[in-house]
Amino acid sequence: MLMMIWRQFVMEWKLYLRDKGAMFWTFAFPVVMLLGFGIIFRGGGGPKLTVVYVQPAAQGTRDAALLKAMDEVQLKVLPLTPAEAEARWSHGETAAEVLPEGEGYRIRLNSYLMAQGGPTAGLVNQAWLLAQARLNGSPEPRRIPVSVESPGGKKASNYAAFLLPGLLGLNLLSIGLFSVGMVNVSYREKGKFRRLAVTPLPKWIFLLGQVLQRLTISLAQAVVLLVVGWLAFGIRNQGSYLDLVVVMTLGTACFMSFGFALSGFAETSETYAAIANLFFFPLMLLSGVYFTLDSAPHWLQRSVAFLPLSPFLSTLRAVFNDGAGLAGHGMGLLVVGAWALGAFLIAVRRFRWN
Amino acid sequence: MSESALRIHGLRKAFPKVVAVAGVDLEVARGEVFGLLGPNGAGKTTTLEMIEGLTVPDAGEIEVLGRTWAREGKEIRARIGVQLQSTSLFNKITVREALDLYGTYYPKARTTADLLELVQLNDKADAYHVTLSGGQQQRLALALALVNDPELVFLDEPTTGLDPQARRSLWDVVRRMKAEGRTVLLTTHYMEEAEALCDRLAIMDHGQVIAAGTPASLIAQLAIPSVVELTFNGDAPDPAAFAARLGEPVERRADLWEVPTRDPKALLPRLLETAEAAGVPYQQVHVRRATLEDVFLHQTGRSLRD
Repeated sequence: MLMMIWRQFVMEWKLYLRDKGAMFWTFAFPVVMLLGFGIIFRGGGGPKLTVVYVQPAAQGTRDAALLKAMDEVQLKVLPLTPAEAEARWSHGETAAEVLPEGEGYRIRLNSYLMAQGGPTAGLVNQAWLLAQARLNGSPEPRRIPVSVESPGGKKASNYAAFLLPGLLGLNLLSIGLFSVGMVNVSYREKGKFRRLAVTPLPKWIFLLGQVLQRLTISLAQAVVLLVVGWLAFGIRNQGSYLDLVVVMTLGTACFMSFGFALSGFAETSETYAAIANLFFFPLMLLSGVYFTLDSAPHWLQRSVAFLPLSPFLSTLRAVFNDGAGLAGHGMGLLVVGAWALGAFLIAVRRFRWN
Repeated sequence: MSESALRIHGLRKAFPKVVAVAGVDLEVARGEVFGLLGPNGAGKTTTLEMIEGLTVPDAGEIEVLGRTWAREGKEIRARIGVQLQSTSLFNKITVREALDLYGTYYPKARTTADLLELVQLNDKADAYHVTLSGGQQQRLALALALVNDPELVFLDEPTTGLDPQARRSLWDVVRRMKAEGRTVLLTTHYMEEAEALCDRLAIMDHGQVIAAGTPASLIAQLAIPSVVELTFNGDAPDPAAFAARLGEPVERRADLWEVPTRDPKALLPRLLETAEAAGVPYQQVHVRRATLEDVFLHQTGRSLRD
């Protein structure tokens, strides 16, 4: 029995290793994401906001004071002639620009890029207050001191440390939905299951071999990501490895069952792809893989806490980034566990060989 | 070993929109090559899939090698070989690996070398499945059906889509199976294939067996053992007026007329005379023996490929 499972497992791996393209992308994608975003946001506070500064005909002391102050508040200033600035604006590349107008200035914001424009306008105004105080010789306004710490307080971490658990979760989701769900729909569609069904091989052995192979893929992916994170950014697991394994195992069970369950609802690969994307994209975008949902509406934050990926990621980050124990995350684990169980039951009910 | 290889009785299967199999009885003796002949949609594949344990019948009894699916399914699977209408394997599995792997599913297995030799895939042994031609894939499917040295082999339209040469080489493999003492049940919609391979056959239409027996006996049962054909250049004209004048039934089929007859020697001069008199623009005249195609036509009023 074990021998049969092992043979299926080995064959699945052989076939997987031959599909160089798929293999490259499963392993390279998370690594590229981690390295790319990790390096872009290495500074910790994210990239500097850019403001276009439209140069006046003649630069006065007031302009010099504003430029100096904008630099001090960490704005990236791009001085351009009025013609250049207008060209950039009309191409839609500018989020915010400062133009001299009358005795003062005007800030023009791109309505499509308010996410950058809004905070930039705030910083420009802050710089302007600073510059005015200096010009008037009044005492400089004092700023509130800022300190950057990770929530668990173990170690000041960077964006890459936030992203890494997010990518681990995303991997599990995509393996579950695509490597498990999609593959099974296409096996059923093409009659691969039927060919197996006329042999004495118990079908659960085939499925178990397949699931075990996907498990080892996700394990290998996790190891690759952890090693890259450690070498490139010095990110290390801050919590107990046992807790990490518990969370990852629960997550794997959850998302693989999820894929199996979904595969029972589609007759063809095309239908399945549509259904799977319906789940994949919202889960990816709303669950805090790349950024937190702090500024999203309250109802949305409350809702995603009941979807599987978001509580999985919070728990994973608590353990991995902040060294927290699992005790404080019972609710999150419960939600993930409930999804795992529910999906498993649906999968068993809906799964078809023909 | 006097028992039948296969015995089915009162087999029925209805799908939501169609009754696929409407009461089929069959008995296949050991060592026999038995054919299910019929047009697409006649219920051949559904019948076969019920026998193979892939589809659960609505009613009827199936006894495979003296065993029933309900109680001895695992044993049946170990002793039968199945080639499905289309065999889908992993794209990047090699021929050798597929044979090795499927061999491990069975308590006893023939060696891969043996099977490669049998279906002449030696030089393709290490090629990926996806790179094989249609005929080679079909031969691999055949080898997979033989991997467990089965007593009873099911072949569902084994030669559909193959070129004539590939078809002949598949026929050779089937004949070798018979020589090795295996029982073979195959479906086909090629009458010449049924005539060439089968010891006995059943003609199916609309989910029922409409005639059964040896190819020779089926043809002999037809009261009209010969057919005179008049061929035309292009589509044949309407034969109604000519048939009335001749006083014999005339069938129009694409570019020819067919006149079935008991006595071609007597018919022929009269037919040519009438054709001449009526100014029928025929090109050639052939006299041929009736075939299974004619049996089907006679039983159903339709051609096999319609």
